Amino acid sequence: MGETGWAYELREVSFAYHPTHPVLHEITLGIPSGSWVSLVGPNGCGKSTLAKLLGGLLAVNGGTIDVEGTRLDRESVTKLRPRIGMVFQNPDNQFIGATVEEDIAFGLEGRNLPREVMVNRVREYADKLKIGHLLKKHPAELSGGQKQRVAVASILAMEPGIVIFDEASSMLDEKARGELLAILRDMKRTGRYTMVSITHDADEILASDRAIVLGGGTVAADLTPEELFRDEVLLADCRLIAPYRIRLQQELKRRGVPLPAGWGPNGEEEADL
Amino acid sequence: MRNKLLFGRSIDTGSWVHAVDPRAKLTGMVLYLIAIVAVGSWPALVVAAAFSVCYMLSTKIPLKYYLKAAKPLWVLMVFIFVVQCLTVDSGAALWRIGSWTLYSGGVSSGLIAAFRMGLLVSFTAILTFTTTPGLLNQGLSGVLKPLRRVGISSERLTLMMSIALRFIPTILDETHKILKAQAARGADLKELPWKEKGRMLVSLLVPVTVSAFRRAEELVLSMESRGYTIGAPRSEYHLLAWTARDTWFVVSYVLLAAVAVAYRLI
Repeated sequence: MGETGWAYELREVSFAYHPTHPVLHEITLGIPSGSWVSLVGPNGCGKSTLAKLLGGLLAVNGGTIDVEGTRLDRESVTKLRPRIGMVFQNPDNQFIGATVEEDIAFGLEGRNLPREVMVNRVREYADKLKIGHLLKKHPAELSGGQKQRVAVASILAMEPGIVIFDEASSMLDEKARGELLAILRDMKRTGRYTMVSITHDADEILASDRAIVLGGGTVAADLTPEELFRDEVLLADCRLIAPYRIRLQQELKRRGVPLPAGWGPNGEEEADL
Repeated sequence: MRNKLLFGRSIDTGSWVHAVDPRAKLTGMVLYLIAIVAVGSWPALVVAAAFSVCYMLSTKIPLKYYLKAAKPLWVLMVFIFVVQCLTVDSGAALWRIGSWTLYSGGVSSGLIAAFRMGLLVSFTAILTFTTTPGLLNQGLSGVLKPLRRVGISSERLTLMMSIALRFIPTILDETHKILKAQAARGADLKELPWKEKGRMLVSLLVPVTVSAFRRAEELVLSMESRGYTIGAPRSEYHLLAWTARDTWFVVSYVLLAAVAVAYRLI
């Protein structure tokens, strides 16, 4: 965890792939260590670009990014990268090893860790992600959800403090999406990770602590997920639909039906429905 | 798709051949190649085939798997046979069509060349059936280490090869999907004449290539985010240890190659 209490501090961050087409314009925000933030917004608003900037995969054109108190730049990126893990959209395109265990071990080999440490780490995180029985499998023998679990295990095995999920659930079916969300919730519970989710998934946004809405290359709104799902204009701008339980809750409220005490929208009371 | 591709897939039966160091297997493969290229007669080839079958049986993998592995390459074997028949003009004339004559020497050398190809495929199958891709890469990296002296990084070379191998089923799968999408829009490759098939393949090549580049870009991002740096020291997940068994394995192939070369010289 960062000494400053901030995982990320962005000051007037700007970025353009081409000088005439800026993608991000003077973004200023802070992400506290140990929190879970969702980055939302319509397609093309620069969410994935911001994720790559946060992951040190792109360099800012203007402004600064501090990661756990250290300025992220060309010199520090190699040192900071082990602190940041990224899970991408397509599970197929991030599977580097020929088998599950080799894929989990790929990042560890780069850290030059002794073999015993790698074997233990691979086993530990494969078990945590419930893929221990798949260690010898080739990616072509796995489902999309299993591949995404492998991707998460590969990142967590490197024991980063920050994990960025760049639309990690968008190519998964409903069941696999639910499984990934459960993993994210478990990660949140440990308190060991700062998590940034770039997502269109309402349940994932709702499970996070905070939603940052990007629009027009800047931060259009910075609010709690509950506030986001109450704001119909923002929802329409982000092309989002509130989860069923929120819509039900709002409809019940609108009709004057009293709700049980503590019956909130954060998903924990889903079973009560 | 991958289920159809038996070649290049490891099958773990726990045999002693599985436990042989991949560097020994790769060395054996090179020696075997020398042996079958050196011999040009049927008795010598039968000895090489018997040698190969002995190793196949030792792997405890049913022989039908080896036949299945060689199956996709039958076109190549037929091609080799036909080329020999068309170009070799020694021996007795067997058949005459216009100005072209089929000679017994052509048929004989065609059969030998196709048989050699079959033997090579079968041995390569022994290698891939009994070695996981990761171990194979590490073995290859070990065998290619001397290339460092001429400025070629064996690790980079084997990483490239392993990624290429890893993505073959993915790209084949994608090609299959694009073919189906084209068929759904009325352009079924199976039903088109050969000329049209050729055109269709070009239009297939563009989306597949674009997709391969996109995948490559995402893969690079994934590798970078996992701290991959070109040329940086890396530890190895699989540890290779050379034992007496590996030495004997290589010795058996040295003997085979030596006998084959001596037979050729004599």
